[in-house]
Amino acid sequence: MVLCAALLAEFCLGATTIPVSVVADALLSFDPDNYDHYVVLYQRLPRVLIALHAGALMACGGLVLQGLTRNPLASPTTMGINAGAMLFVLAGAYFLNLGIDGRGAAALLGGMFGFATCLGVARLAGLVQDQGGLALILSGALTSMLLFGIANAILLTDPTRRTDFLGWVSGNINHVYADQLFRIWWIGLAALALLCVLARPLTLIMLGTDKAASAGVNVRWVRCLALLAVVLAASSSVAVCGPLGFVGLVVPHIVRPFAGADLTRSLPGAALVGATACLLADLIARHAFLPAVVHTGLVLDLVGGVVFALIVRRYYLTAGRRASG
Amino acid sequence: MRCERAIDGRPVLRFTSGLEIGLGNLAAVAVLTVAAVVLTTLSLTVGFADTRVTDLAAAWHDGQDYELQFALLNVRLPRIVLGFMAGWCLALTGAMLQSLSQNPLADPGLLGLSQGSMVTILLLLLFVPSAPLGLIPVAAVVGGLAVVALLVWLMGGSTDGNSGLTLLLMGIAVDTMLSSVSSILILYAPPEISFAVSAWLAGSLFQASWGSIAALVPWFTLSLPAILLLGRAMRCYDLGDDTAMALGVPVTWSKPLILFVAVLLTSAAVTAVGPLVFLGVMAPHLAGFLSRSAGRARLVLSALTGGLLVVAADTLVRATTSDLALPLGLSLTLIGVPLFILTLRLRALATLRSE
Repeated sequence: MVLCAALLAEFCLGATTIPVSVVADALLSFDPDNYDHYVVLYQRLPRVLIALHAGALMACGGLVLQGLTRNPLASPTTMGINAGAMLFVLAGAYFLNLGIDGRGAAALLGGMFGFATCLGVARLAGLVQDQGGLALILSGALTSMLLFGIANAILLTDPTRRTDFLGWVSGNINHVYADQLFRIWWIGLAALALLCVLARPLTLIMLGTDKAASAGVNVRWVRCLALLAVVLAASSSVAVCGPLGFVGLVVPHIVRPFAGADLTRSLPGAALVGATACLLADLIARHAFLPAVVHTGLVLDLVGGVVFALIVRRYYLTAGRRASG
Repeated sequence: MRCERAIDGRPVLRFTSGLEIGLGNLAAVAVLTVAAVVLTTLSLTVGFADTRVTDLAAAWHDGQDYELQFALLNVRLPRIVLGFMAGWCLALTGAMLQSLSQNPLADPGLLGLSQGSMVTILLLLLFVPSAPLGLIPVAAVVGGLAVVALLVWLMGGSTDGNSGLTLLLMGIAVDTMLSSVSSILILYAPPEISFAVSAWLAGSLFQASWGSIAALVPWFTLSLPAILLLGRAMRCYDLGDDTAMALGVPVTWSKPLILFVAVLLTSAAVTAVGPLVFLGVMAPHLAGFLSRSAGRARLVLSALTGGLLVVAADTLVRATTSDLALPLGLSLTLIGVPLFILTLRLRALATLRSE
């Protein structure tokens, strides 16, 4: 319901408000001479599609990561995947002059690199066995900081191209990125499909690796495939509209109380809620701060930071108090 | 004054009043000071206008080459002095916070204190544009204190079972929130302000001038008596609040006082150069490698190292990338993260060994 309302609002609201009937007309029988129709089809529709794509992928990625690492703070953002993908896309565009086609590949490589770095740092810090996996998140945050720093340095090397990427780097849902979406969408969809296929064995793994193994699940393979799918999903979303932070962190916490631990049910739920969250964030970004239009990533960071702090407080502090007292 | 051996076998200078100063620490201070002087000279010669050390002396005495003299006196020297003082303040704060929270990873930048100051300064600039410039430091202090209060509230006074990582993550969360708030605030600023502010948000020494130095000097001088008066308590806080109280430290008012001084110094440094992350972690640990110390000696050594680090980073950036204007905050992050990870690694090894 909320998704439908948000969809409608996204179509209708804007610099000019367009009535619902006109929107329906534009989608069903497009008239190239009508300005309103043009706006709906070439500006608002791409935005909606991008928001749906990014939101669904990030949310599902976060859900699976949180399940696999048993860590309420895990998400593509907090584990360095987004930052890695962003850095590689940027480096590819600056140093190798990669076109749009190369971007997807660069993002995938980068996502894997970021994830591997995060795990490597956590291992190096020797805190992998650390209870609750805080060290993993900390090393993810450090990795992201470092990669973002390098990305910023790369941006500064060429001021003329800087403006092209400035919006993208902070994560922005914008109709300009539509052609990237049309080249890359199938990667994200494939990743999502893979996750749906794996949903049943993954649910079993979350119950415990021993139980899953005794139920006939090849734990190693399923885990690797699922992680790969998550990295694919997150990086394809980054390749389109830049690192949208914290959808992957927040949405699973919203979905879990309603859908339970069963991934076959919670994955579609997460996808829906994630898409809605992105649409809403985009709406807020464009309308709440008038006359300025904010990047969507900023709004998500703001919300995400609050939720992050609350999760830390709820899961780690109260648990610690219970254990000690 | 005699040379003796302390209880742990290290040589110390003992004064008649009973004051002990470790020889190792004295040597470290001497080394750092010499390094600072050498680095300053080196740093003066690096830049767009190519100069050699001999030119410097000549320019100083003759006063003929006005262009060079201008570059030295009004561009490079303020940069170095300001960088050193800001680094000094931030490193000192880092050392204080680490003792106080018994968390070797505490840092004013990572915990969001710097961002808190930035946000309040931005608010002041945007909504009360007619406010006198003297109010800016006040706003910075208020912001820093607000973040401290927020962190204390969020942590709920709980004892930290996760070796301080929780506090750090909480700080990073607060930092993320505040930095997106300040990015949004910048959008509202008129273009000419927002351009200047975004350079400052990244942490830079571009705007260094004798005026900004004069604004920082009072705080810098304040840090000296603070080291003398508060340094002794630090040694006790390293052992934990309860032990500190048992050793006769008036915890109830000395802890807030130290926090207040720490916030004061951070916000002064932030007002001058913008947020510099990781300096507060790096400097005390590097100083610790140089010479083991506690209390006052640790504060002095950390502060010196901090100042030195900033000047070194700035010199390095100017020397290697002359056409690329890399902000100081960025270069410190690039250097700082690997060092921070190294610190984590060393800590892990230490705990492994002790088990």
